[in-house]
Amino acid sequence: MSSDAITMPGVNIDDRAWVDVLHRWLTTVDHKRLGILYILYALFFLLVAGAEALIIRIQLIHSHNDFVSPQVFNRMFTMHGTTMIFFVVMPVLFGFANYLVPLMIGARDMAFPRLNAFSFWLTALGGFLLYFSFVGANGLYGAGNAPDVGWWAYAPLTARAFSPGHSSDYWTLALLVSGFGSIGTAINIIATILCLRCPGMTLNRMPLFAWLNLVMSGLVLIALTPLSAAQIMLLIDRYLGGHFFDAQAGGSAALWMHFFWIFGHPEVYILIIPAFAFMSEIIPVFSRKPIFGYPIMVAATIAIGFVSMSVWAHHLFTIGMSSYANSFFTITSMVIGVPTGIKIFNWLGTMWGGKIQFKVPMLFCIGFLFQFLIGGLTGIMQATAPVDWQLSLSYFVVAHFHYIIVGGIIFALFAAFYYWYPKITGRMLSETLGKWHFWLFLIGFHLTFDLMHIPGLLGMPRRIYTYEPGRGWDTLNLLITVGAFIQGIAIMIFVANLVISYFKGDVAGNDPWDAWTLEWSVSSPPPAYNFATIPVVESRRPLWDVKHPEDPDSRYE
Amino acid sequence: MEKPANPGTIEVPASTAWPFVLAVGVMLLFAGIVTSMAVSALGAVLSVAATVGWFREVLPREREEFAPVIPESIRLTTERRVVERFPVATDQVRAWLPVHTYPISAGVKGGLAGSVAMAVLACTYGVLKAGSIWYPINLLAGVVYSESLRLPGRLYSFHASSFGIALLLHGVVSLLVGLLYGAMLPMFPRRPILLGGMVVPVLWSGLLYTILGLLNPLLASHIDWFWFIASQVAFGIVAGFVVVRQSRIRTRENVPFAMRAGVEAPGLIPPRESEDKRQ
Repeated sequence: MSSDAITMPGVNIDDRAWVDVLHRWLTTVDHKRLGILYILYALFFLLVAGAEALIIRIQLIHSHNDFVSPQVFNRMFTMHGTTMIFFVVMPVLFGFANYLVPLMIGARDMAFPRLNAFSFWLTALGGFLLYFSFVGANGLYGAGNAPDVGWWAYAPLTARAFSPGHSSDYWTLALLVSGFGSIGTAINIIATILCLRCPGMTLNRMPLFAWLNLVMSGLVLIALTPLSAAQIMLLIDRYLGGHFFDAQAGGSAALWMHFFWIFGHPEVYILIIPAFAFMSEIIPVFSRKPIFGYPIMVAATIAIGFVSMSVWAHHLFTIGMSSYANSFFTITSMVIGVPTGIKIFNWLGTMWGGKIQFKVPMLFCIGFLFQFLIGGLTGIMQATAPVDWQLSLSYFVVAHFHYIIVGGIIFALFAAFYYWYPKITGRMLSETLGKWHFWLFLIGFHLTFDLMHIPGLLGMPRRIYTYEPGRGWDTLNLLITVGAFIQGIAIMIFVANLVISYFKGDVAGNDPWDAWTLEWSVSSPPPAYNFATIPVVESRRPLWDVKHPEDPDSRYE
Repeated sequence: MEKPANPGTIEVPASTAWPFVLAVGVMLLFAGIVTSMAVSALGAVLSVAATVGWFREVLPREREEFAPVIPESIRLTTERRVVERFPVATDQVRAWLPVHTYPISAGVKGGLAGSVAMAVLACTYGVLKAGSIWYPINLLAGVVYSESLRLPGRLYSFHASSFGIALLLHGVVSLLVGLLYGAMLPMFPRRPILLGGMVVPVLWSGLLYTILGLLNPLLASHIDWFWFIASQVAFGIVAGFVVVRQSRIRTRENVPFAMRAGVEAPGLIPPRESEDKRQ
């Protein structure tokens, strides 16, 4: 803060300081600050989407419940899904990529710092626009306020006849705006990784974190554009009398499904690949071994990226495709399990024979390995068209994808938080609170999502508002809701840990985990310029080389 | 590294409000569609103003500020000085596992030999049990060629299309599985024949038995599972036997691809010395 600001007459010094802080954050182009903004923004929406999930679960806690109206219930599951995918998981992953990629590759900032800021604010304002619908869309034409058409927004539900007012428009516009932001960030990550690596950091020596974010960003460019195109087509339908998705006027409702899922399934990999990146950095450090099969890990990621573009129509088995299409998408959906399985084997290979340290980040990684495997296996089940015909749109599917999103991605995210929080803040997170967080979340997760498979198999449809008693669903739904609340408590402990440790946590130092990548070579938190001198690397583990000059990796790679 | 204009400082991109203003402008531009044209108009004005402001930030030269270098003494050390090693290769400080492996040709030979054994057994089944040597061949073609299964009688006679497809399928898959054996068997050196000949075929057959009824019920209904497993085991034992009889070579994971591929060209010098100088 400048001294002029302090001495301005009539201005309270404290107020002025607050305004200065706000100004610094609003105008920042520093990748680290923008990364933190992404992460804080996502955490806020995690709490919002979590509250929506609890409302859904309270409504389903027993049969014939009317905790909320059917209309509000529809809004809750729509907003929960949309928020979690677009305004929690994507921003938080972009946040970590923003913060860590330049540090890991020895760069001073992202390739386009201003575009970086622009992209973040577009994403952020997209989310706020979505939630403004609760206020802004209320009552027009007697319609509801927040979007209520599910996070897929299938046609013809989004047609004017079935979705009067502006709720669907808010959904469309919010995703369009935030989608532009995501594309900007993806371009930035690609340019940064390809152009700003420090001397010696060949592609073959790049941390897997950077490799995986490179692939993820490529997928964003390919996958988000069809979604944006479809959003624009939907706006044309709703505002300019177009008929892209109007089956009665020569359009096709299935067209929307294809557009949505050609985005939607690669989106799953857009979300899970950064989670793989966290695993690939954290597991070696806490196993005290280098990653097993680095080239294969890179190849498997690229293979996942390619194959993920050809699996989308397994979401459409029930709409009646040809047997050739069913066979093709069954095979591709099973094939993508191969490179994914290779990754799991390689993480296990990394742990095998290592001196495993069961710190909180590693606990979350181990949880990830088990849960992601199970979620993947139920995915393989549903990749088989006849099985999918039975289970589609049931709670089995809900359990499956929450196993991936929560059991996989959210567990990986928590691992990342515990691992990199010391670098970002300079303070260690409390291990005790961390273990409470881990065990409660683990118990809550399994109580909720293990049991959720069963009502699905018993025929409970997803998005159902309430149900008749005596179908065998009541006790299961009660336990599932209890599990959801346990997860909620665990997340509150996590948030408390973030806040308390920020002020009272142990000082971290620059390298609290005895790690090997470049971000641990600078102070915590890093200075604005990251590196006073641009580093030169000679292997995939530059800090190992420094710490073990008698036996550097560079001698063997 | 380039030298900064001011000693003791490093150039970093200057903070600017224009990206934020432009984002607000774009958002309002779209939000006007569902609120009021005035909101879109405000968004348009902000967008134009922010675009001009942004351009002036970066043209003719991007605006930067100088961040003072903070003196710090960071020591990169570890308390874990001693590193444990697996005693797998006493002559190497670090070893790529497996230390010895089979050449690619071993996998090719194993795959081809296994394919012959499997074909002989399958055709024997066709003659003895099904009553036609063409039965297993047409059945194999039916995996990808539905015409082969369309009429029950078609399975018992020769069809060039089915024969060609079955031959291709059998050859390619046998070759690939042979290569897989060549790569995997060195990793399980104690009982390679047990793994390759028994465990893997039985696991594979079990997997197919459980899912084939879902994937292709018509094909599954024609399969005699006893003979199917027997032919899988025959492939595994023969392929595994042929592979393990080949002489092993030292793993060359750490050698550049061009050298592993046997390319003789100038410039293929040991990587370490050259790498250091290039930086």
